Formats: sequence, structure tokens, C-alpha cells
Amino acid sequence: MSEETDNSELFADGLSGKNAIVTGGSRGIGRAIVERLAGSGMDVTFTYLGNEEAANEVISANPGLAITAVKIDGRDSGAVNAFIESVFDRVGKIDVLVNNAGVIRDNLLPMLEDEDLEAVFKTNIDGVFHFCRATVPFMMSKRSGSIINISSVSAEKGGRGQTNYSASKGAINSFTKSLAVEVGRRKIRVNAVAPGVIETDMSKGVRDLAGDEIISNIVLKRYGLPSEIANAVWFLASDLSAYITGQILSVDGGFKM
Amino acid sequence: MITPTISQDEIDAIYPQVADIIADALGCDEDEVKPNSSLINDLDAESIDFLDIVFRLEREFKVKIPRGKAVEEARGELSEEEFEQSGVVTDAGFEKIKGFMTEVPADRFSSPMKSAEIPKLFTTETFCKMVIREQQGA
Repeated sequence: MSEETDNSELFADGLSGKNAIVTGGSRGIGRAIVERLAGSGMDVTFTYLGNEEAANEVISANPGLAITAVKIDGRDSGAVNAFIESVFDRVGKIDVLVNNAGVIRDNLLPMLEDEDLEAVFKTNIDGVFHFCRATVPFMMSKRSGSIINISSVSAEKGGRGQTNYSASKGAINSFTKSLAVEVGRRKIRVNAVAPGVIETDMSKGVRDLAGDEIISNIVLKRYGLPSEIANAVWFLASDLSAYITGQILSVDGGFKM
Repeated sequence: MITPTISQDEIDAIYPQVADIIADALGCDEDEVKPNSSLINDLDAESIDFLDIVFRLEREFKVKIPRGKAVEEARGELSEEEFEQSGVVTDAGFEKIKGFMTEVPADRFSSPMKSAEIPKLFTTETFCKMVIREQQGA
């Protein structure tokens, strides 16, 4: 090539100066998403439920980045409404919402207690409803926004002991597609990222229990990294994915049945 | 239910702000928004636009407008069964809604009316009255 090509505009993510909310951002995949988006110049507000120490660590480990942590329970719709309103009042717009908060209570179906169902459904489904319902009007009035829900490979592929968890993530996939249809006219995009087995505390149990079997089913023969999920979220948040909505993006190293 | 009366002066006082919000939400010129414009028929609004408009009104006027409140108030003391049957507004319901939505030109009411068609009656002034009712109730 005789002349250097300037690709900077072609690959501009358009995120600098924009605002994001990430639920469950103190650890694992959530933390990686917070750091990826803030590293792109976004003002990121993340929520956490229990671990204040971990939340503070995210902030102290990233000096110079615009990161705010707020303790909030996503199962409480009133609290979520107040939180979203407070973020809007502070930053003036909400460009990106990442619904990452989720819990896992794996067990064989006969062993699952009512509270195992309730915990998973209330956080993984109700929480997503609450955050989206509170945020969408703000995005509608600005006629822009990108919502990214964190689903799971187990939404599509059966997993022993995961009836409750996979049902909750299947619901998120359906929710994602329906909401995309509802709000597309207002220029709001809604997508999901479906991680495979990622090296986090949350997946430690299943990795310890069935590590060899899992790896044998992954085409790339390794677990994923939180940063690799964060990269997919960053892409869906950015202008680079401007023509993508209603999609479930699998980031699972090629997970086989 | 006793519905507080709303004067034209009260409507006129907030009309410019409401019209501005509607124009902004629907992406149309302010000149196109008239007091008795039907938002759906004249300004091409869709149901999701109503949510956006109500949301903006709530923030502008610091009121809370419960979803579905307008139809509920129009129904007055009539029960749901007395107001509509199989998706069609009853005769009693029809008279009730006509008396409640005095801002809507009379020739836009035609019986039988499907419940789903009620939002087509909503005008700019309908939204003004929604805000005023909540201000009065606050």
C-alpha cells in the first residue's frame, strides 16, 4: 500500500462522553464491563447489592475513570425507579443500560427449593424488567439508547441442575427480542450477550464439578474471560453495532451440545 | 366520583408547554399542534408515543399520571361492565365519555365506538386536562 489509510473514523465507537448504567458491576463479568465502558470514555454508574468492599475496589483500581457505585436491590421496582431518575438527574441522559446482575442456584429439579426459584427469577427476570421499564422512557424521550442484557449459553443449551437458571435466561432472550420490537421505532436498540463458561466466581462451582466435560464441549478448548464478554458488550453499546437489534450474541468459544 | 371542573383559563395557562412537549415527542412542528388536534389521526401518534408524552408531562409538571387514568376518569361511577361490553362502549358509556371529553369536537364521536378507539379522541387539550386534574388532586 502506498498511502496509509486513516481508519480512525471507521472504527470510532462513539462512546466517549456518553453515560452507562451497569447492574451488578462489582465483580466478575460486570466489573469487566464497567471497566471496558469507562475505559472508552463513558461515565459509568454501576449497581451492587452486597459487597461494598468489591464495589469500592472497582473504583480505586481505576483512578481517572468516571465510575460511580450505587448500592441497590434490583428486585425492588420502587428503588430502581428512584435510582434511574437520580442517575438521569445527575448526568442528563442514559445512553446505555447493561443488565448484568444475576444469581445462580443450581440443583437437580427435585432438590430445588421454592426460594431457589424465587431468588433466580426475581433477580434474573424481575430485575431486568425493572431496570428496562424505568430506563426506556428516558431513552425514548432522547430517541436513542442501547440496552444489553446478559443472558447465558444455558438459555439455549440444556444444563444439568440449571432448570431455574436456564429458564430465567431463556426468558431474557425472549424479553430482549420483544422489547427490541417495541422500542425500535424510537431508535433504541436491545440485544443480549450469551456468555459460555467464563472464569468467574459464579461459575467456579460448575467448573470444579465438571471441568473436563465442559472443556471437551468447547470448540476453543478453554474457558472465556470476563474481558471477552465485556468486549462484546462494548461492541453492542457502540455505534459500530448501529444496525443490530433484537439479537442474542453468543460469546462461548463455540459451545457444543 | 366527583370530577373537578377545569376552566379554559387553566387549560390556556399550561397549553404552550403541553403543545411544545407533544411537538417534541412526535417530532412535528409546533404549528401543526392545535388545541383540538387528534394526536393519532392528525399527528400520526402511536400508542407508545402516548407513554412518551405522559412521561415528559410528568417530569415537566412534577405530577404523576397513572397509566389508563384518563379512561378510568371518563368512566366515572360506571362499572367496567356498564361502560363497555365485548370491547364496545355501551350507550351509557358513550354518553359518559362525551360529557367528560368536552374538549373533543362533537362530530368526532360516533356510536358504536370500540374501546380501542377512545385514544383516537385524545387531543392536545385532553393532555392539558390530564395534567390539571393531577395538579388539582395533588
